[in-house]
Amino acid sequence: MIELKIDNQTIETQEGETVLEAALRHGIDIPHFCFHPCLSIAGNCRICLVQVNGRPKLMPACNLPITPGMEIETNSEPVRAARRAVMQFITLNHPVDCGICDKAGECRLQEYQVKYGNEPFNIDPKHHKPKFYDLSGRILYDGERCILCSRCVRFTREISGTFQLGIVERGSHSLVERLDDSTYDDPYSDNITVICPVGALLRRDFLYKSRVWYLEPVRSVCVSCARGCSINVWKRGHHWQLRGPGSEAKNRMIYRITPCDNPDINGPWICNKGFDLGAFMSRPRVLRPTIGGSAASIDEVIEATTRLLSQAKSPAALVSSHASNEELAAFKTALGDKLTVYTRQDLKPEACDIVEDAILIRADKNPNSEGVTALFGHKPYTAAGHDLIIVWGEGVKLASLGAATIIHLASFESPQEKTADIVIPISTFFERTGSFTNFEGKRNCFDKVFEKPELVQHAGELFGRL
Amino acid sequence: MSEKIFFNFPVTADSHTLAAYKKRGGYQALETALKTMQPIDVEKEVMASGLRGRGGAGFPTGSKWSFVNKKAPVVYLCCNADEGEPGTFKDRWIFEHSSHQLIEGMILASYALNVRNAFIYIRGEFDLPYRRLMEAMSEVYQAGYLGENILGSGFSCDIRVMQGGGAYVCGEESSLYTSIEGFKGYPRNKPPFPAVQGLYKAPTVVNNVETLANVPWIIANGAKAFSAMGTEKHPGTKLFGVSGHVAKPGLHELPLGYPLKKLIYEDCGGILNGKQLKAVIPGGSSTPILLPKDVETANLDAECLATFRTMLGSGGVIVISEGICMVRLLQVLSRFYAHESCGQCTPCREGSAWMNDIISRIVAGKGSKGDLESLERITKGIMGNTVCALGDAASMPVINFITKFRTEFDYYIEHGRSMNDGRLEI
Repeated sequence: MIELKIDNQTIETQEGETVLEAALRHGIDIPHFCFHPCLSIAGNCRICLVQVNGRPKLMPACNLPITPGMEIETNSEPVRAARRAVMQFITLNHPVDCGICDKAGECRLQEYQVKYGNEPFNIDPKHHKPKFYDLSGRILYDGERCILCSRCVRFTREISGTFQLGIVERGSHSLVERLDDSTYDDPYSDNITVICPVGALLRRDFLYKSRVWYLEPVRSVCVSCARGCSINVWKRGHHWQLRGPGSEAKNRMIYRITPCDNPDINGPWICNKGFDLGAFMSRPRVLRPTIGGSAASIDEVIEATTRLLSQAKSPAALVSSHASNEELAAFKTALGDKLTVYTRQDLKPEACDIVEDAILIRADKNPNSEGVTALFGHKPYTAAGHDLIIVWGEGVKLASLGAATIIHLASFESPQEKTADIVIPISTFFERTGSFTNFEGKRNCFDKVFEKPELVQHAGELFGRL
Repeated sequence: MSEKIFFNFPVTADSHTLAAYKKRGGYQALETALKTMQPIDVEKEVMASGLRGRGGAGFPTGSKWSFVNKKAPVVYLCCNADEGEPGTFKDRWIFEHSSHQLIEGMILASYALNVRNAFIYIRGEFDLPYRRLMEAMSEVYQAGYLGENILGSGFSCDIRVMQGGGAYVCGEESSLYTSIEGFKGYPRNKPPFPAVQGLYKAPTVVNNVETLANVPWIIANGAKAFSAMGTEKHPGTKLFGVSGHVAKPGLHELPLGYPLKKLIYEDCGGILNGKQLKAVIPGGSSTPILLPKDVETANLDAECLATFRTMLGSGGVIVISEGICMVRLLQVLSRFYAHESCGQCTPCREGSAWMNDIISRIVAGKGSKGDLESLERITKGIMGNTVCALGDAASMPVINFITKFRTEFDYYIEHGRSMNDGRLEI
């Protein structure tokens, strides 16, 4: 451990740290664009230049190993002058089209321009570069906004390992481009839009959807696979709820999903399926309770279910691996000893899915298989003469369950050859708090994003009433 | 005339061959070294000779070698033959007429540094030099001076030749080995320095062609004979490529400390068409310019030129005669640097292009009042803030030209045309 003096403040550093890492860990702000804690050091943006022991030549803090007796100044006049110069160089050919830029509001360039840029704007005509260029079907690239920090390039080389992006051309003509004419089909591609410090890489599904300051993130968990990555679900902020006709859909809209840094489980990355979780959760919902296919009130449904349960000779339940730990516990307490419990995987890998890889994606496409196994063991359903089956969740062919009476607790509509005798709509995990246990046994909690629709029931509360 | 290290034989049709090189004493230094000297002795000899890098920075070669941990599992030697500095054409001569001298020097350096594999990174545009080098390589392998167990000494060494892709920036040592590794030639941040972690993350020495080609002579004639030439702090001889408006442009081998005036007016026959001297760029386009009054007293060695706030650089002397428009000349230089900036780090990528824009605008007659102040500000923003020295190289001529020829720039901006006839007539 070496002591380091930054702006007359002595801090303790860890072995092998650079000045920038140590400063950031102690809450000292040194501006940086190209530095990312999970990527290699590029040292190309030059905004993190600092003065070392009063020497005239400035050094980039991101690539500066700490040596004993080091004294760093982050706010001396040469440093401020260098930052002003670098900010001016970066904004030289920047189109300053923040008005139509999705990144505006969370853009590091805007932040630093206010904080550190002080040179007069250059009035020379700007050089143009490709704008809104399709990097892939999911991502647009804006060469004019790009500051060529190479974070995205390093991401494909060091994290996703596809080597599909590179910086082509030279000097001021440099561009981020796909290499070898390949398509940019990296399963983690959308992460580059998150790590891009400026608005150069944009997600197509969020393009012009909303200004980011109208949105607020809710911490949640991705249900795409057993990894259970931490995510932020961005919805319209509570200060900015819309009123008036047609506003309900926008207020309940998932604007985007971004990764939430969780070093324990996923680090700062998630896969593209996680980024698409909004679409997955916006499928048509089951919103009304039905008995025998016709609408009924919730009390009628509960009464009918309770009656059927008490009459049944051999009742069984297929529990959902998309259910939270809390719901599973409530189920076990309320009904666990009254019926035979079978476990299952709700969702299987689909045709175009990546089954499993060495980075994040797991073959088990359900978030809480581990939690189910912990409570009920591993008991796949075998067709054994049950006269009543409670089917919890999706992914079960009701026709395959034979002649038994079926009570279906469903969130999403699914095409079925046979309709369940009783359908009870239940909430999705976006509508309640809870936790999942991932394949490594790590619990990950999610918060409530939206209120549940009126007739939809929380499964956990429902079991107590049966 | 003092002794010469390079120009010591008449150039004939076959003077570049191994037979001719051996006839003038070639590979004897290697044989002596391998048979009678330890690697450390070779290094000590080079250290004692005071040989300094001939590529531009003038760093003492012996010290550079001593920084390398020779006990590391792998040490690499790279010969920097990416001679791209405008005005410089010395390495080209070495390749064309005396490739063996370089190869022998490289084997000696490899022996001193415990290098098994050495690399020559030769400029992609070099054609004849490349062919001559490859001829020499095959001769050397046949003669057994390279490969396994050289001359029965137990020392093995291979040299691989890499051709560059035409990027000026690959003459910078870290981008040179990045390019050898197969990546885009981007310079790397230091630390780590190449002596610690260079090519393929192994300790690496990068030396200029001329530097390495000096080594056989030092080993053959001894450090004392070498340091007897030139000045005390900058010994030896150097190849000076004189171009521009002189009567006889060409390559000259001169002891360091040679008077610049003598070089121009005696060795090169004076200024072309008997005109007056306007300025001299002493060591390749990126070195600060000298005015006629400086030329009177300037000597060609690092210390003396440092007193004029310029550098010896790579020895590419560019002579500029009266009647030349410095604004247009600066545009030529700034266009070169804007074109060759690799684009990795912000100040150089944007700054060099911006400077070129402003200067081109001035040349087009559309300059405005604050342009020179802008240029000064841009150079300050670039210098010292970049990954490699290209940013400095791009801004130094700009700031120098503006300061030393301010009236010309002011005139051009005010009148929209050049003070001079405006043509680089040769």
